[in-house]
Amino acid sequence: MSSQCRNDFDQALLSGYLDDVLTQQDTQRVRLHLETCTTCSHLVEEMKTTREVTMTSTFATPPDDQWDERPSAGLSRLSFGLGWGILIIWFVASVGFALGQLWSGPESLTEKLLIFSALTAVTLLLLSVLIDRLKRLGSDRYRRIEK
Amino acid sequence: MVDRNETVNGVMTLSATTATEDLVRRAQNGETSARDELARENQRAAFLFALHLVGNHDDALDISQEAMLRFFSTLDRFQSGRAVRPWLFAIVRNQARDFWRRSKLRRHESLDESIPDLSRALVDDGDDPEQSAFRREQQARVWRVVSRLPRAQREILVLRDFHDLSYEEIATVLGIPMGTVMSRLHAARMNLRRKYLALASHQAARSDS
Repeated sequence: MSSQCRNDFDQALLSGYLDDVLTQQDTQRVRLHLETCTTCSHLVEEMKTTREVTMTSTFATPPDDQWDERPSAGLSRLSFGLGWGILIIWFVASVGFALGQLWSGPESLTEKLLIFSALTAVTLLLLSVLIDRLKRLGSDRYRRIEK
Repeated sequence: MVDRNETVNGVMTLSATTATEDLVRRAQNGETSARDELARENQRAAFLFALHLVGNHDDALDISQEAMLRFFSTLDRFQSGRAVRPWLFAIVRNQARDFWRRSKLRRHESLDESIPDLSRALVDDGDDPEQSAFRREQQARVWRVVSRLPRAQREILVLRDFHDLSYEEIATVLGIPMGTVMSRLHAARMNLRRKYLALASHQAARSDS
């Protein structure tokens, strides 16, 4: 048996061999290789042990009642969406109204510019939050899961 | 079709069994008891996968809870003959990605992809005490290393070596070609081995000194 693995042997096949997903031909190829290569034989044994260790691990999980105690997010999500919708409508209407008043008002050009800058800044900030949220929706890979 | 009623880590495997198919169909028809049963069978698996992705109990609970809500809100789009778990896990993974994005924005986190030590969430399954102590030590070491793996390697490793998903199911969850699964999984296993050996020798050196 050789302790050095041949360079032309694809070691990824060892994982496939361990998981029993290889074709008959590849399985045979790996078997023959394992008969002559101690490095790969040890590797397979180690991977097998590690898999056993992980498979037999037990983790603490929440008690059943903790799931039931949690509030349903359906209603909160609806409130969230409605809240945002109303806020946007209110904001657009208010900004429109304020700009109209500003345009026809008696304020000096400096005052008009100051108020206009403040409104522009708030609008841009709100827009950035909205764009961020819309982008997040667009990258939602879950939407692409087929039936 | 034959029912596969075996369990993996206490979680029922859901590879499109007749019983599951029937359960999904009944849940899709609005039967409350079927929806409850479906939730009971899957919420634990969803939680564990979320835990393996983020490493924190509370965050995992939030993520899995949200994933279950999404799962049920889109149940009518699901073909009852297909396995539930890959579909649910894809939702969990998606929720976890949103969580990471939010965390990064909030905490300005670095690109370090390690998560809190998963070995702290392990519990003793109460087997033979002597064997259990040795096994527990091995498990603690392995999961500590898993927590330090890059995200892509950690997720493929836990999907195969803890949740026992097939290569095809893993490809569905991760949205990668079947052919990529074996090479990525092997890279993850090799990295785990490397880090495990490094940790073991570090611990041995510390106990010697």
